[in-house]
Amino acid sequence: MAKAVKAAAKAVKSPHADTVRKAVAAPMLEIPEPKLTWMNKSRQWGVRVKPGKKGLTLGSLNVGIYGEIPMDWPDQTRNPRGAIGRKGMPPVGYMLRSKAEVWADSAADLYEEAIQRRWAPATDVPWNTVKPLPDDLERAVCQVSTELSQYANVEIEVISAWQHQMVYGYHEVKQYLATAGFDAARHYEVFRKRALINGGGLGLEGAGQVNRMILESRGGWTEAVVYLVLVRGLFVQTILRYLEQYAYNEAERFIYRNVMQDKARLLTYGLDHLKFAIAHNEDQKQIIATLLAIGDGLFIRDFNDPVLREALAIIFGGSIDGARGAGMDVYHDMMRAYISTHLEYCQWLDVPRRVPEPLEQYAPQD
Amino acid sequence: MSEAEKLGPDYELDLGWMDQTGPWDTRAEESRNGLTLADIQVGEYGRVPDESDNQTGRPRGAAPRSGSYRIGNYAVRTKSEIWLDNASFLYEEALQRQWSSATDVPWHTIEPLPDDIEQAQCQMATFLTEVEFVAGDVPARWVSQTTPDFFEARQLLTAQVMDESRHMDVFRKRAMANGGGLMAATGATSGFVGSIDLSRDFTEMSARLHISGEGAVLTIFRMGELMAYNDAEKAMYRLCAQDEARHVAYGVMHMRYMAETAPERHEEINCYLDEAEAGILSGSANPAGQAPIVSEPLAILLGGGIAKFDEGFKKLVALRRRQIQEYKKRVVSAGFGARFENGRSRINEILEQAAAA
Repeated sequence: MAKAVKAAAKAVKSPHADTVRKAVAAPMLEIPEPKLTWMNKSRQWGVRVKPGKKGLTLGSLNVGIYGEIPMDWPDQTRNPRGAIGRKGMPPVGYMLRSKAEVWADSAADLYEEAIQRRWAPATDVPWNTVKPLPDDLERAVCQVSTELSQYANVEIEVISAWQHQMVYGYHEVKQYLATAGFDAARHYEVFRKRALINGGGLGLEGAGQVNRMILESRGGWTEAVVYLVLVRGLFVQTILRYLEQYAYNEAERFIYRNVMQDKARLLTYGLDHLKFAIAHNEDQKQIIATLLAIGDGLFIRDFNDPVLREALAIIFGGSIDGARGAGMDVYHDMMRAYISTHLEYCQWLDVPRRVPEPLEQYAPQD
Repeated sequence: MSEAEKLGPDYELDLGWMDQTGPWDTRAEESRNGLTLADIQVGEYGRVPDESDNQTGRPRGAAPRSGSYRIGNYAVRTKSEIWLDNASFLYEEALQRQWSSATDVPWHTIEPLPDDIEQAQCQMATFLTEVEFVAGDVPARWVSQTTPDFFEARQLLTAQVMDESRHMDVFRKRAMANGGGLMAATGATSGFVGSIDLSRDFTEMSARLHISGEGAVLTIFRMGELMAYNDAEKAMYRLCAQDEARHVAYGVMHMRYMAETAPERHEEINCYLDEAEAGILSGSANPAGQAPIVSEPLAILLGGGIAKFDEGFKKLVALRRRQIQEYKKRVVSAGFGARFENGRSRINEILEQAAAA
């Protein structure tokens, strides 16, 4: 049982509730006649959604008019979808008001999955399995942890910068992104913890070209998703997949596995959203292709930076010496896996894509 | 021939980065509660600068790169503007106390209710669905504007966004679980001057959101048993109260930090509290406030139906008193209690007016 549920079960009685109950006996001032103007105001009454196998989920609420999700949502108040809005309210100032700008059909399910699959770095990671490593390995693990923590920082900043600009009508997306931001915060934390637990420390800050590209993608959330998910997100996911195979203890394996699981949700949302955006904007496909082509230049500059590459190769090879041979082999294999999956995703999205020359060595041969 | 040789036969490792690190030989140790954020505040890594010059998004304590871009553009770079001393503790608690509105609320305990009660419950749920995510939208905006050097505070705000998302959804679920539906929105969190959304300063926002707005809602959630008609509703209010208590604690502890470290801002903060007090009962963001669209359903729930509206209203007034008492305690705890002694605060007067309304 969740700790919150246990604590709630103990808090059966509020210590002050009796004071409020006794107020009934107190002599009273004038009591206003209720106006009840709010009563019988509903766009659809008589709704009874029952919990299913996975409980009472967000997606299951989309019945009747509550499941009508229009392509545009001009209302800039926090009127919940399906409720009767109040006229004449000054707008909050939401910028993203079109479904094509934010939507993914999977958002509600991803939201519930994120909540079910929560984990806590403090208590769920078996930190006691981290044992002293040779200095070169510890430095490599700490360097990779530093960069992954910084990547998570970018994710936190980008998601939180866009999420609050989305209208209430597409609440499933806002809610899913709340989980994604929280996931990223956990990743920021867990990699920092790993760097500081085993006689090492944080390393050198990341090269930052791709960070810059993601943070500066101001054209819209969809643009941010292209860089955050299709470029960086998939790259990190691939790194984690390889790190899990070459982890040096159960704690690291746990971290990589669980972060990967969180990231998989963001990848799913991102791809789903891009597909939706493309389906509803005929120019979107070409815009994405252009963004990717521009992004290639910056990705290659990051890629040419030796720091992350060498740190990963040391981890994969088990030492500096191992990095020069087997470690670098694994690194190149990892890059091939990344490029190959990236191309598959682009193909699925039907986005034209050409592998830039410096990365051609990693492109599938056929 | 290995792949490395095929792909880069002259490849030499640079390894210059290996000597560019933050403080080395760091060995954080697990405590009774696992490896918490507090446990990794070791040596230089635990030193939080009063002013942050970090514009590259560098993790605090990592070695800087001379060629890094200044991509941060963080509006919040002064510690006192956002800091609270127990952020690490509250964040870890938030992680431990996550819950699921899909599976942790015993929805099967909901049984059909008399129509007036169901309508009141649905109106209250509509209102809470509407207002709860102001506390998600607004903290999110500040997260993205805060330097990662103050990441402990930022982590906690990120947890708050998550919590509020769950609140938005649990009340929507309640409205649609028992033969009712959503009802009328209040417009309570629209773009009024003085609203939470439009705050230009974090402390201003926190006074409006954490101390006043969420403080008032917390009192209601804590009294949830008085307006709950089944175990599902009781669970909902209790679970939300736990989350809300953390958010209110953020506001109190931040304001306390401000009181201790930024005396030059005391008068300004008192102005925010003046505004918050003026709106605490008259605005429609408080479910026990004076707006009939929220106070009437609450009185019906507290009384047990329209026929017992008078009883419910008496309880509502008692609830308002409780809200004000708790508000005052928070402000005293935050270090601004003098306003209740020196005649600056009008909160008692406001309460008496509201009680007589």
